[in-house]
Amino acid sequence: MFRRTRVQPTYLCALLLVAVTGMAQTLPETLPPTGDFGPDPQPGAVLQKVPADVILVKGAVPSASDHSVPLPEEGGVVKGVYKNRYFGMSWTLPDDWSEPFGGPPPSESGGYVLSNVVPAPKFKGPSKGTVLISAQDMFFAPMPADDAKELIAYRREHLEPYYDVERAPAELTIAGRPFSRFDYESKVAGIHWAVLATTVRCHAVQFVFSSRDPKLIESLVKDLDAMKFDDAGWPRCVADYVTRANVIERVDPVLKDRRFNAIPARLVVDKKGRVKHVHILSAFPEQAQLITDALLQWRFKPYLVNGEPVEIETGVTFNAPPRNRKTTAPPVSTASD
Amino acid sequence: MTRRTSLLLLVLALIVPLSLYGQVDPGVRGGAAGAGDPLASVAANNPANSLAFFNHGKEAFEDLNSVSGTIPGAPDAGLGPRFNSRSCAACHAQPAIGGSAPAVNPQVADATANGATNTIPSFITSTGPVREARFPFFFTNGFPDTNRPNGGVEDLYTIAGRTDAPGCTTALIPQPSFALAQQTNNVIFRIPTPTFGSGLIENIEESTLLANAASNANNSFGITGTFNREGNAGTIARFGWKAQNKSLEIFAGEAYLVEQGVSNELFQQERPLPGEGMQSPGLANACKFNATPEDLTNFGGVGEEVISDTVAFAMFMRLLAPPVPSTTVPGGSTSINNGRNLFNAIGCNVCHTPSLTTFRSSFTPGLNQVTATLYSDLEIHHMGTTLNDNVSQGNAGGDQFRTAPLWGLGKRIFFLHDGRTKNLITAIQAHNAQGSEANGPSFNFLVNLTPNQQQDVLNFLRSL
Repeated sequence: MFRRTRVQPTYLCALLLVAVTGMAQTLPETLPPTGDFGPDPQPGAVLQKVPADVILVKGAVPSASDHSVPLPEEGGVVKGVYKNRYFGMSWTLPDDWSEPFGGPPPSESGGYVLSNVVPAPKFKGPSKGTVLISAQDMFFAPMPADDAKELIAYRREHLEPYYDVERAPAELTIAGRPFSRFDYESKVAGIHWAVLATTVRCHAVQFVFSSRDPKLIESLVKDLDAMKFDDAGWPRCVADYVTRANVIERVDPVLKDRRFNAIPARLVVDKKGRVKHVHILSAFPEQAQLITDALLQWRFKPYLVNGEPVEIETGVTFNAPPRNRKTTAPPVSTASD
Repeated sequence: MTRRTSLLLLVLALIVPLSLYGQVDPGVRGGAAGAGDPLASVAANNPANSLAFFNHGKEAFEDLNSVSGTIPGAPDAGLGPRFNSRSCAACHAQPAIGGSAPAVNPQVADATANGATNTIPSFITSTGPVREARFPFFFTNGFPDTNRPNGGVEDLYTIAGRTDAPGCTTALIPQPSFALAQQTNNVIFRIPTPTFGSGLIENIEESTLLANAASNANNSFGITGTFNREGNAGTIARFGWKAQNKSLEIFAGEAYLVEQGVSNELFQQERPLPGEGMQSPGLANACKFNATPEDLTNFGGVGEEVISDTVAFAMFMRLLAPPVPSTTVPGGSTSINNGRNLFNAIGCNVCHTPSLTTFRSSFTPGLNQVTATLYSDLEIHHMGTTLNDNVSQGNAGGDQFRTAPLWGLGKRIFFLHDGRTKNLITAIQAHNAQGSEANGPSFNFLVNLTPNQQQDVLNFLRSL
């Protein structure tokens, strides 16, 4: 079975550089004793270096069962536009802003850093700021919230005492979608934050704007309205569908090592109840393989909407109890729109 | 080079230096050490004899080791066959015994002490940090093999040639070729972690850590994090650069074996290099001079002298008071207080949690239900490509590190896990990288703070 992990363009560039520079270097004729190294390298052999600035030894990482389905962590900025096929989202960056770095891998609680955007070196504007685009998979959220609105409300309720509320959580429409917005500031720092969140595929996708200049933030928020969403063809997302009643056939993965890490997985279940796609958000490779192989053998009771089976995506956590989600009643396999 | 990489380099080259123009790291704070003393309750000898155990542990911590304990001034037996230095206190020295790497690196003298014939690797210098070296990958046919992760400590030195190691030669136990490892970019470094206040860290209950993690999940900086857990009981580990060690005794026992080559009750066999121990004959028996374990319970001892060195080390570290911060230096109280507030506002405190409360303690009142101002959540976080060392320990991957406790930072000479810088600004910039969880706070520091505010944060950090 083919699996994939995201390879950053920067990594590829670093590997290329290593390959190119390595070709030009050879080892000296005399070498020091190898000690712990085993056999000596051959004199004159081409020098092989460990690539710099590349994370080769990874901890828990995301993976997927196939190439065909987009993943949340695969978005990025190309030619001044942040695009994310999983969320069907594209957002044009402000002029002379850029994404210098990609974020860390998804967390075991379903947190994603989709992008960090800051003024580029050639930026000449009067004030600077930052934009963080993040997502929280609400299937695995570590806080009692089921959607973006509730997540914003939770953020407000638990705002640290050194911040002051500038704008209480409120609903608004941006790019034709319902968003929740919450603004706060740090008076001592003179920094303002605006958090705008919308629910997409059972994720809270958040734009966090920060700046010393409230006008800049307003300008950035206004520009969000030009953002585009394409939600055609998404499977219906159903929380907590992995129940004894809904899983008809189940093969449990037998994990070999005790790792004590939570392993969140998203599944796409087709109309016939077969698992057609598995996305492991965070797992060690051997764990991911065992769990993916097992999940692809599961069979679900088809999810019905108005009596018709529909494709769904749902989530399940391995190696740890489910998170304390707000919703307690498991879904039934029938629903109506 | 891709456009993305070009942008990255431009940002690093232009934005960051310009943003910090004029701001300076105040440097190592002067004045009294503010560290190295026992907890107040221990100083008051509460409970009875606790001060004697502290003092005994401190003496053991300071003692020099030799191979058989026969070298004048080095009474403790067990050094080597492979080692990095000859005493705990030699490396844990700044600003007082129990701390981190000192200004003068003792490893230069260790190389040839008592007739040893070691070559000093180029990354060990008299004014550089004390360093432990690891090879991220094993070598195959003389080249690093990225399909074979290693990550174990490659001790710098051997006892070959020492007057107390007759018959042990470099042919039997050669040093690793650090030169080739450097040429092939297959060596990383670690510096000693300071141990002040570590009894408080040891006594923070897991429920407290979990509650703090849950609270921190509600942040707007994109920070997540997780815990490293020891592999048997599955409880949260908390010591070492990757939180790979569960307790102070494990920490002490492992260090005694790995850094000084002293086998002990926790690690009873002499330690070969990672590759050396994988096939016969392993570590040369001709270089093993003592029965094992070399450090053990002293059955004939009295009082605190009954315990092994390892237990004594752990007790010394456990009973060390946390560092005392300054309220006025550097920059004055207004700047320091402002810096503290800014530190919280821009999100540094999400990982560098200012304080956590310890659980009930059986040891001494000084550890019992007190506030530990450690500035750490004791979680491991992805720090990205700049700090990545490609070494996995427990659940921590190559770029995951425990949030370094910041207490005592004002007196530190070297920063980051490998001691690559003495400059606090460089250390902050290293948090800003591809794949780092700390990009949110570090961008706030670099982009959103004014120069004066940045200076306040630096002053605050150096006041700790």
